[in-house]
Amino acid sequence: MAREISAHLVSLERLGEARGRRTTGLTALDELLGGGWPRAALSEIAGRRSSGRTAVVRAALAAAISAGESTALVDVGGTLDARAAAGVAGAPTAPALLWVRCDAAKALKAVDLVVAAGGFGTVALDLCDARLKIPDAAWVRLRHAARAQGTTVLVATGARRLGAFAAAAIDLGGAPAFDRQGPPLFTSLAARAERVRNINRGDPEGVPAPSRDGLRAAKPSSAQAIASGASQQQRPPCVSLVFTSRS
Amino acid sequence: MRLACVYVPQLALQAALRRAPEAREAPAALLTAQGKAKPRVVELDGQARSAGVRPGMTAAQAAAACPGLRLFTATAAELEAGAAALCDVGYAFAPRVERDGERIFFAADDLGRLYPEGERAIAQAVQAHAARLGFGARVAIAPGKGSARVASRAYELAVVPAERAGARAFLAPLPIPYFTDDGELGAAFRRWGTRTAGQVAALPVSAVALRLGPAGAAVARLARAEDDEPFVPQLPPDALEEAVELDYPIYELEPLAFVLRGLCDRALERLAGRSLACAGLTLRLALEPRGLDVREIPLAAPTREAKPMVELARLDLARRPPAAAVVGVHLIALPARVRATQLDILRPAGPAPNRLAATLARLAALVGPDNVGTPAAVDSWREEAIAMRGYPLDGGAPRGASEPGDEPKLCLRHRRPPEEIEVIMERDGPAALRGAETTARVLVAAGPYRLSGEWWTETGSWAREYWDVHASDGAVYRLHRDGRTGRFYLDGYYD
Repeated sequence: MAREISAHLVSLERLGEARGRRTTGLTALDELLGGGWPRAALSEIAGRRSSGRTAVVRAALAAAISAGESTALVDVGGTLDARAAAGVAGAPTAPALLWVRCDAAKALKAVDLVVAAGGFGTVALDLCDARLKIPDAAWVRLRHAARAQGTTVLVATGARRLGAFAAAAIDLGGAPAFDRQGPPLFTSLAARAERVRNINRGDPEGVPAPSRDGLRAAKPSSAQAIASGASQQQRPPCVSLVFTSRS
Repeated sequence: MRLACVYVPQLALQAALRRAPEAREAPAALLTAQGKAKPRVVELDGQARSAGVRPGMTAAQAAAACPGLRLFTATAAELEAGAAALCDVGYAFAPRVERDGERIFFAADDLGRLYPEGERAIAQAVQAHAARLGFGARVAIAPGKGSARVASRAYELAVVPAERAGARAFLAPLPIPYFTDDGELGAAFRRWGTRTAGQVAALPVSAVALRLGPAGAAVARLARAEDDEPFVPQLPPDALEEAVELDYPIYELEPLAFVLRGLCDRALERLAGRSLACAGLTLRLALEPRGLDVREIPLAAPTREAKPMVELARLDLARRPPAAAVVGVHLIALPARVRATQLDILRPAGPAPNRLAATLARLAALVGPDNVGTPAAVDSWREEAIAMRGYPLDGGAPRGASEPGDEPKLCLRHRRPPEEIEVIMERDGPAALRGAETTARVLVAAGPYRLSGEWWTETGSWAREYWDVHASDGAVYRLHRDGRTGRFYLDGYYD
């Protein structure tokens, strides 16, 4: 019991960050975003193929699962790599992950249903290969549901789609690395994550508690905004991530 | 023992009215099932009776006597479903129920804990629940079956005192026809000048028995509140059934879904009364001119919402349309208890099981039941192999907390099934590839990695050569050449 309790304790420094953020599962990305992905908001992970978008999403899901949260992945095309997901999650399967395979046309409806159910800490929407025009109203509705339920919604896309609807957005670019001592061997992917958008609302003191109707979210005071703006200026605008090949 | 009696007068008519609740306000009558003879009125409500409609009239005569009269026919399936729904009124309040024609009886002793206001409140609650299921019911609570039957016939809502003297006084002013359906017996009592139960109770039972036989003695005993009729309750059935036989055959999916919606609504209302949800559906469609189409509709989780059930049924019907027009629908719902979940003090509260169950059912209806669940490993060396199993309603096993990791792994975004592509091969490996979405030169190719498996089976053996290729569009693709056919397939790309 003592071990279980101590496993759930977090350091005082991280406590402040954790109040308005959920860890990304990647230390460098947590630093870039000031604690992690914002709670009760939409976040966007954009990048071209082989830029590490999927690995970032899976790391966030794995971290949420490890923290005991319910998570869901709405997977357009059913691309989930079960073995890689198991490697990140540290278990053969991820029992707490709700996996929904669908086509692009049904993805928004599916993620709406999952978020509206309530109780899911992190919900990921994988639109990496989807070629679909999504109306702004869909994002507004999803943002409203995420705010009402306190859910972190991650949207992985090929190019930025959410614009101002995302509370946090990163742009990823990656370059593969091959070991050329002997026959080439794909070893890792070096990715560069650039912080494109990170609303200060998620910073510790400025966190608006999700209101019952989800409409009246308190705005941070100007002093808080200045303070958090200053803290963002101290953070680097981009970080490097290295994803090792699973083979 | 206190017994509650729920009496639904003209149960057949009320069972038919369940499928047309909007007709409750209008005068209504039930016709005999159509055959060679002209259909005739067998049951009618108060409005129709006061307008001059009488049992035995033909449909034309009844319609002439009462303009605006709604005429119904009840099939055997509807009558059966109506009777089962009446039993469900009882099962909402007691674990065992006895059915006797248009009445049900159940024990009401323990309900005092739920309704401390008294037995009248219990009777009102039972009546309200019957109304929710589409029945206008009379309810009586009495110390025995006989007195409960008489009280329910005499009053809309009645509570007969528990002690014998009080019960006898309660029954004393009631006329004899409430105590027996036997007209000759009633006439005999009238000839004796005894018109109420109190007058019959004053006669010696042995003398009544000598002159009128056992039936007369039973009436005399009941008039004295000596109620010795045994209570023989039964457990609820394993499945719950609703059915409708259609006036016209249905050829299209939409009208059939409309019919299904009504059946699902009625079934769920009955289940909700017993605090149960629906865990699975079986549809038996009667086809024209003959034949049955039986199909199972699995639900991802027990649900109390009709919409996902109808959606799943509609998906199944769209996938495998019936071979002929549908003339009857029989729905069998499997009841299941929605389990309460104990929250963990160290874990964030997950989705509420009831809401999660409904969400899973809706997702299954949206994307198909095979596409909702949790990923499961498959005992195979094929890289793309993955299975889906049901999502646990308690959110799965608890995990310990962990710090963010520093060595994240790359993921392979699988293309399922692998897409066949064209590849230009050179001596060192692939030099260029062309597929539906990708045309690129290969900058670096790592491989081949040879994998084979399932050679121990007769049909499933496979052998592949895998390559990881860095293409000129910037992506790192995983592709393989089938060892048997020599064709190339794109497995996906790393991301």
